[in-house]
Amino acid sequence: MPPDRRSPDRLTIDVSVLPDTVFGHRGLVWWGTVGFMAIEGTTLAIAAAAYLYLRTNAAEWPPRPTANPDLLIPTITLAVLLLKLIPYGLAERAAKRFDLAGVRRWLVIGSAVGLLALVLRWFDLQALNVRWDTNAYGSGVWLALVAHTSLMATDVLESAVLTAIFFTDRVQPRHFSDVEDTAIYERFLSVAWLLLYLLVFLGPRVL
Amino acid sequence: MPASIPPLPAAEPADVREVRELARTWADASGLRGWLTTVDHKRIAKRYVMTAFAFFALGGIDALIMRTQLLRPENQLVGPDRYNQLFTVHGTNMMFLFAVPVMLAMGLYMVPLLVGARNVAFPRLNALGYWVYLFGGILLWVALLSDTGPDTGWFSYVPLSGPEFSPGKRVDVWAQMITFTEISGLISAVEIIVTALKCRAPGMTLGRMPIFVWAMLVTAFMVIPSLSMIATASQMLAMDRLVGTHFFNVAEGGDPLLWQHFFWWFGHPEVYIIFIPATGFISALLPAFTRRPVFGHNAVVLSSIATAFLGFGVWVHHMFATGILQLASSFFTATSIMITIPTAVQIFCWIVTIWTGRLQFTTSFLFILGFFVTFIIGGLTGVMLASVPFDQQVHDSYFVVAHLHYVLLGGGAFPLFAAIYYWFPKWTGRMLSERMGKLHFALWLVGVNLTFFPMHLLGLDGMPRRVYTYPDGMGWTGNNQLATAGAYVIALSVLAFVGNVLWSARRGVRAGDDPWVSDSLEWGTSSPPPPYNFARPPVVQGRAPLWDRTPDAPVVVGLATDRREILVTTAMDAEPDHRHPDPEPTIWPFVAAIAVSVFFIALMFTPWAVVFGSALLFPPLVAWGWPRRPNQAPGVTTPAEGGA
Repeated sequence: MPPDRRSPDRLTIDVSVLPDTVFGHRGLVWWGTVGFMAIEGTTLAIAAAAYLYLRTNAAEWPPRPTANPDLLIPTITLAVLLLKLIPYGLAERAAKRFDLAGVRRWLVIGSAVGLLALVLRWFDLQALNVRWDTNAYGSGVWLALVAHTSLMATDVLESAVLTAIFFTDRVQPRHFSDVEDTAIYERFLSVAWLLLYLLVFLGPRVL
Repeated sequence: MPASIPPLPAAEPADVREVRELARTWADASGLRGWLTTVDHKRIAKRYVMTAFAFFALGGIDALIMRTQLLRPENQLVGPDRYNQLFTVHGTNMMFLFAVPVMLAMGLYMVPLLVGARNVAFPRLNALGYWVYLFGGILLWVALLSDTGPDTGWFSYVPLSGPEFSPGKRVDVWAQMITFTEISGLISAVEIIVTALKCRAPGMTLGRMPIFVWAMLVTAFMVIPSLSMIATASQMLAMDRLVGTHFFNVAEGGDPLLWQHFFWWFGHPEVYIIFIPATGFISALLPAFTRRPVFGHNAVVLSSIATAFLGFGVWVHHMFATGILQLASSFFTATSIMITIPTAVQIFCWIVTIWTGRLQFTTSFLFILGFFVTFIIGGLTGVMLASVPFDQQVHDSYFVVAHLHYVLLGGGAFPLFAAIYYWFPKWTGRMLSERMGKLHFALWLVGVNLTFFPMHLLGLDGMPRRVYTYPDGMGWTGNNQLATAGAYVIALSVLAFVGNVLWSARRGVRAGDDPWVSDSLEWGTSSPPPPYNFARPPVVQGRAPLWDRTPDAPVVVGLATDRREILVTTAMDAEPDHRHPDPEPTIWPFVAAIAVSVFFIALMFTPWAVVFGSALLFPPLVAWGWPRRPNQAPGVTTPAEGGA
């Protein structure tokens, strides 16, 4: 912003005219969210790296007599996780309009879909057809799933709390900005799962 | 460049009413409540630094016991089991509880001041980071004192650290302590990145950002992948031990080398996580003691960035003795030698700065000179160790112990002491005693070299590291005695330092606001700074904000004084962008840290800790983020008023 002349010999920059609620990369919380996505993304990448490293030690993948993981339920979970992006995308658009009713509606639906995905995740674990302590392959796939599931569970709780705030009289403009950051985080979580799904559920069929 | 002309103050003296209101708004509660709830980055960072030095002292006592044990052959002061715990806790403590946290803490204190900000970006998270770090550190030391100290080396190699060869809870203490400290380190990294990129004073473009802030930014970017790595790997080790996974168990398809890869992919960058902030100290201090800006600003910054990238490509040089492919060995030899190039560029830039400057031989400057001598010796033995045949010869010998201490003390501790002598007046308003400081420096220089130089010779003579004693007649006794004598000289030096700090904090000469007539923004506010740092955000006109400032520099007005508010600027050009409410003090980070501690400690015993630990952690986190009613948070505009 250009400085304006307040006194004859002195330039002043008056920041009181600047907004106190902003969206996207202008805001601090966006940067914090990206930072934690980087940390969590690294953790998931390490799980994938461990899986691929352990693959090199085995002649067959999965090692005999371990069966391949089932595909039906995990594919449904993946679809649900990707579908979840729709209500969160709509919540984000409503938030940018400061549309309280819209934010409430789409956050409730998004949280419910998130909860559904978490329930389905329980069946994903059964679909692995191996225990974590059976062999290194089992440890690798369980690590990938548990690491991602812990993020999902945290996210469902966080999303529920944000939704709850929107049903109180305590909602502030910055919470609308938080909705956008949540929507960005949801995209990270779903895309990360898409990659891990390919590795864990399709990987044994092609690696 | 002005040599003796006092610079203009960076911030305009705001009017008295404004300052009084700011003081009231930013004040902490008094007493214990204020102590537990503060979110002031300066109080928290000072606490970090003091805690880290407390751990440094404990690790030093630990080292003295080891050196006393090694004073003569067949000594019986400490048995092998206790000795294993002592060297493991010494290394673990010095790396995880001292070196990395103290460097990040210096960043947490200084970065906001150097960029002209009122606080770090996420003050409550910052408080959580400290408490988690403190509790993790206490866990390690309580474990050692109760004979449950980790005993498998600071890198806890499997299979020794696995369930088969290390039953009991010693390794679990190590693994969980890692989780505590890495959570804290990762939080600090996010704080530093967002503060440096989004909270800079107007006018401080990236091109004008101080080299120290660059160094901390680069370090923080290294922390994210490397500390995430060790936190995940240590959990994999813990799972192998607790629930029977097989990541590192050969019999079921696991691989011990996977651990070594993961550990060193963290462990080598960690050296740079300690070293790059130290290079930042040197670049921050030299202008004050040479009366000129650092030569080659851009080259120094780019070298830090290059070091960070290369730092992730050298880890296998720790694994030359594991029988990896010859091609891999050659590659990692090449990268390990290549990483000396950016470091050399920096060192030559500093030498030119000193060569062409007008030198002030303060204690701080002496520590910088000591850095050159000591670190270069450590760097050169590093180049030797990068060569596979030589590495094979001295692997696991005292030569490596000598090398790593020269690098870490030379490249980390010398610059750290220099920085503390330089910034102590900023933190306390008083100078450290120069006379005591010079005694501290002399004892430190002699002690470090007397302790660690003979270890090169011991290593070349074949003395292995991590042995609790050695037989007579090996020809190792004399050099061990020199090293032990040196360790006591180091102890005396640290006593001189502690005495100096304690005495000077109360009775030191009053410093005034800018005792060194420095160039950078932290000296543009009072010493010690008020809780809000700057009454008005300063406006930066050059790379040396205080030296480059013109009398008609613009003034920032309009930031709230009746509520905590900070100015957020754009990442590249630091244009004022918006105002952001800064959170009030709160107890919840402290409560959350207690919940985290219960969670992690319980996880050493049962996997169900994940369930009840999360349940325990949830309420404080909700309370932390739960907003007050709008009418209790004055000044926040409604959506209709506040434009998006």
